[in-house]
Formats: sequence, structure tokens, C-alpha cells
Amino acid sequence: MNHLSSETFRENAKAALADAQLRGALKNATSLFGERRKVAAASLPNWEELRNQARAIKDEVLSHLDKYLEEFVRAAESRGAKIHWARDAAEANAIICRLAAERNARVIVKSKSMTTEETHLNTALQAAGMQVVETDLGEYIIQLADEPPSHIIAPAIHKTRGQVAELFTAELGMPPTDDIAQLTSTARATLRDRFAAADAGISGVNFAIAETGTIVLVENEGNIRLTTSLPRMHIAVMGIEKVIPRFADLDVFLKLLPRSGTGQRLTTYQSFITGTKRHATGEGPEELHILLLDNGRSRMLSHPVTRQSLACIRCGACLNACPVYQQVGGHAYGSVYPGPIGAVITPQLMGIDKASQLPYASSLCGACREVCPVKIDIPRLLLHLRGEISERKGSASERLAFKIWARVMMSPELYRLSSIAGRLLQRVFPISRAWTSGRDLRLIEPKSFHELWSDE
Amino acid sequence: MNNEARQEILGSIRTHLAASAPFDAREDQQTPVIQSQQSPAADPVALFKQNLEAVGGHCLIANGDAEIANALTQIISALQKTKLRAQRIAVSDAPELVRLMHMTDLEIEELGIAPGASDIFRFDAGISTTQAAIAETGTLVLDSVRERHRLVSLVPPVHIAILNASTIYMTLSETLSMLQSAEELSPAVTFITGPSRTADIELTLTIGVHGPQELYVIVNQSQ
Repeated sequence: MNHLSSETFRENAKAALADAQLRGALKNATSLFGERRKVAAASLPNWEELRNQARAIKDEVLSHLDKYLEEFVRAAESRGAKIHWARDAAEANAIICRLAAERNARVIVKSKSMTTEETHLNTALQAAGMQVVETDLGEYIIQLADEPPSHIIAPAIHKTRGQVAELFTAELGMPPTDDIAQLTSTARATLRDRFAAADAGISGVNFAIAETGTIVLVENEGNIRLTTSLPRMHIAVMGIEKVIPRFADLDVFLKLLPRSGTGQRLTTYQSFITGTKRHATGEGPEELHILLLDNGRSRMLSHPVTRQSLACIRCGACLNACPVYQQVGGHAYGSVYPGPIGAVITPQLMGIDKASQLPYASSLCGACREVCPVKIDIPRLLLHLRGEISERKGSASERLAFKIWARVMMSPELYRLSSIAGRLLQRVFPISRAWTSGRDLRLIEPKSFHELWSDE
Repeated sequence: MNNEARQEILGSIRTHLAASAPFDAREDQQTPVIQSQQSPAADPVALFKQNLEAVGGHCLIANGDAEIANALTQIISALQKTKLRAQRIAVSDAPELVRLMHMTDLEIEELGIAPGASDIFRFDAGISTTQAAIAETGTLVLDSVRERHRLVSLVPPVHIAILNASTIYMTLSETLSMLQSAEELSPAVTFITGPSRTADIELTLTIGVHGPQELYVIVNQSQ
């Protein structure tokens, strides 16, 4: 259910707009997140400076990504991590399935990872006969409901407590309740049992430090710590853009990410994992595998405008700020990454033909650019992608219309005639319904500026 | 092993970056801004306590072992009257913890020392020391090379941490430089700021989802 396509954004959006419960939930969530972000950003005197610094660091990494990846790989390998490279989703899933199968893994616990959502890893592991359990509470809820996440940091934002209770009653045999604390403790108890049984843990990565080979994971619940401490094997999956140069750069990103995402000064837990344990008797997994995924990312490096998409730290602030996301929610985008950032990265990752409506799912108001902690110019990216789309499949009639427009604008006589014609014809033919159904179109004034001027 | 994928991805990065070169010059180059970091002038213990309490943690101040043992007695005996029980206590392998537990007046069912992954789940509370803290955020810093405390600080519903006041750093940035100044970064460093929390259902804050629902920090002023 609810697996919508990006190519039907307009229809998806229309359906979402008719869902009063969804719109109520979205309004609460996006305004609360938005307010908290504003307060948290204002609590630092140098917020703008931090944003500039973060962007400069990301620009530096992205323009020498090969060098920084190699540095990261050398450092991580020297500390005992095994590195895997995957060109696309299928290759990534095959590597992970093989690692799990070689160790006879039956139960796999996962912490939230947008990258493995992108590769549909769970489907691949299940097809290989393994039980895979999402352990972030929101991800667990949507896994039970068989739905994709609808927000980058709050995946089950679209569900009410009543809907979660119904789901837990049906799937876990819990007595009906609408007490959120009880729902949470039921999930905790069920998932503890899976943690205890897990043969492998799979996590994402928030930052990978080239200098030290460290991966950094940020969370509130503790499920990432459990996933990366209990099972004997830990597999961390990261897009190749997650690398940052220096350990000290974390100062900037650990200030920006939690404040932009949830409005916290720091999330409850940060795990800094550098290779495997030093002594056999130490705590933690025996094996650490880090998978580096390209899946369309290296292509985005080929132009400075598209390259900035790779600076994203997945905080979700642009979703909360976007007037389109606020109304239609995440599922309407029909992609793993929703909202403004989803509208720019989905067409680039999946191919522009598979998500050609998404760059138009925006009024270009610029709210996303205002809140982005790494100053990604999303409106400019949207226009860039629209440009690509119209070059590919721009309609002949549109091209003709602009040719005529250009001709008219160059000749004062034609311009005068056309404004008279416009005034008359506007009353007879309603101008393009697609334009006027959502907007007002004012009548052309009876006299043009030119005419008023010569009358004076 | 998958050298072919590695070569192809790095090759693709290089090719696409080269293709971008003619456009790069036209883009505005942003200059990195050097940020001046100044520690706020404040008492680190007071600031740490204030920020820890702001995120729902409890903070007790003690002077020396006798007072720490007292604080442990106070915390655990109060918990024993709740449904959290606090009868089976797991401590990390920091040697002073068993000694401190013996200095308390507590009656408990079991004292476990750094239980492993298969054993840890039955404990009601975990006690560890900490290697550092950050005053400006109320954060504990745990270094896995110095102590076996990854699981005792995570799996039981209660975590009690003992922190030496002299190891409190004012800022995140100072703490990061301290971590990096070590000979070699530890395989697992964990920052803990308050009890485990989630807001995944209707954005309603719920404390204690996967990690501890109660976090107590005893700050030892004399160390």
C-alpha cells in the first residue's frame, strides 16, 4: 500500500490534499519542527558563520572527493574496518546479502538509514531468507505498516497514535490503547528480543572522517548504539558524499545538524566508531564493514549547481519549511527522499525521466534555501533541472509561443496591436485553464502605459 | 576484492569533476570563515548540572568516596521502591565501582561486573565511570578503551555515571580536540546527553525507548 510513483506527483498531491487527518498531522509536525529550529539557531551567536563554514567544508570535500575517499579508506582499513564499494543499489544489496549469508545470519537488526531505503535493502535481505527488523521506533512502525518513510527524520509523522495502536494490536497482539508511553514500551520490549537474537547490525552513517577513518552516528533513541554494539558484525552503509576532511570539522556539523533537524543542542547519543575493537575481550562487534555507495552520486559532481545536492546532511529542515511539503506530505513525492531536497536529488539519482514532475513541485519561494544548514540553493537546482527537462522534452507549441513572443516584443507596432488583440480576446476565450484554475488572472488594463503616456 | 567497483567509482568521480571545471570558475567561491571559539566564563560543574537537568538527567554533587557511596545508596534505594526494582546491578570493569558498591548500605540481589551481550539484558541498572564531560551541553563522554561500559551504560533501564569534576570541558570543540590528542582514537567513543528519548508517535516526547529511561550523574568535586 501507499507506494506511489514520482511520475504521478500531481495526482498524489491531489489525493493528499483531500486527507484532512494527514494535513492536520503535517501542520502540527512542520510548525513544531520549524519553531524549534528557529529557537535553536538563534541560541548560537554565529549561526550564519557556521553555515558558511559547513558549506565551505562540503565544497572542499566534493571538489576533491576521490582524494578524501581514498584517505578515509586508508585510515579505516588501518584500524581494521573492511571497505566495500558499490556502484549501484543492486551491487550494494548483493554485497550485504553475501556478508550476512557467509556468517549464517538469520536475524538482522537495522537502525534508520535513508541510504538503505534508497537501495531497498530490506526487500533483498528478506528475499535471501533473512529476518530484518527496523529498530528506530518510527521506522519500525512503517515497516509493520509496509509503507515508505514520509519524513527524513520522523518517518511515521503521518500516523496518529490511534493508527499506531491498531497496527500494534494487529501485528503484535497488544491490547488496544492510545497511550503513547505504552505503545513505546511495547515496541521496546518486542525489539529487545530481536536485539538479543541478532546476528548482524546494519546502520547508516552521518559523517565519515577522512583523517581518522571514523564513522559518526547521531540519534536519540539508543537503537543505533544497540545495533552497533550487540551483534558480532556491524555493516555501515554510506553514500560516497558523507566524508568530511577532519575530526575537528565535527564541531561545525554537530552544532548544525541537531539544531536544524529537531531543534536540539545535541541529540541524546553520538557514536564515534573507529575501526574494530583492539582486544578480543573488548566490547563491541568483531567485524566492521563499511559500504561506500555511488548509485548516481558521482554524476552529480559534473556541474557546480548539481554538485551542491551532495552537500546535504539529511536534517529535514527544508521539508518543514516548504509550503508544498506542509500541504501534501512525504508520500506524494513517490520517492525515498521527499520535500525540496527530494525534488532535486530524486531526479538526479533515479534519472530525470523517472521523476520529471518533482522539479515542478515547488513555488520557488526559497524557504528551503533560507533554512538549509549547508546553504544549498535548492531553487536554483530546481530551475537547473527544469531547464534539463525542457531541453529534453520541451513541447513544440511552447517553443513556437516563445518565438512569437520574442518577435512581438521586438516590434513596437506588433506590441501595440497584440495588446489591443489581447484585451478583446481575453473577454472571449478564457486563457489556459491549467494556469487559471489555481491562480487569478487579472484583466488587461483598457489602456497601456504607452497610451496613457501619449494621452498626457 | 571488488577492486573493479572501486576503480570505476573513483574514475567516475574524476571524470565528472573534470567535466565541471569550465563551470567552476564562474561560480562564486565561498571563503571559509575562521570561527573564534571562546569558552564562556562560568563554573563548569554548575553549567554541566544545569544543562544535564534541562534534558531530563539527574545530577548529584559529591566530595570523595564516602559521599559518592552515599549518593549511590540514595539513588538506588529510591529506585528500589519503584517498578524499576534496581535489584540486579551491573557495573563496568572500572575497579573503584565494586569498592564503592561495598561502601553503600544497599541490599541487592546481584552485582554483575561488565556482563557480556548475552547476559546484560536481565540487569535493572548499570553503573560506570566516565572519561570526560561537556559543560555547555550536559554531555557525558565514554571511551571504550578505558573501560568496558558500552553495554552497562546502554541496556539496563537506569544508568548511573560517576564523573570527576576535573574532566569536565566547557565546549564541544575543546572536547573534540582532547579526543583527537590521544595517541590513537578509541574504537568507540560515545556521547550521552540525557536519557533515551523518542518523539516518533505524534511528536510526543517519550523518555526511555531503547536506552536508559533514567540517567543519574554523580559529580565528584574532589577529583
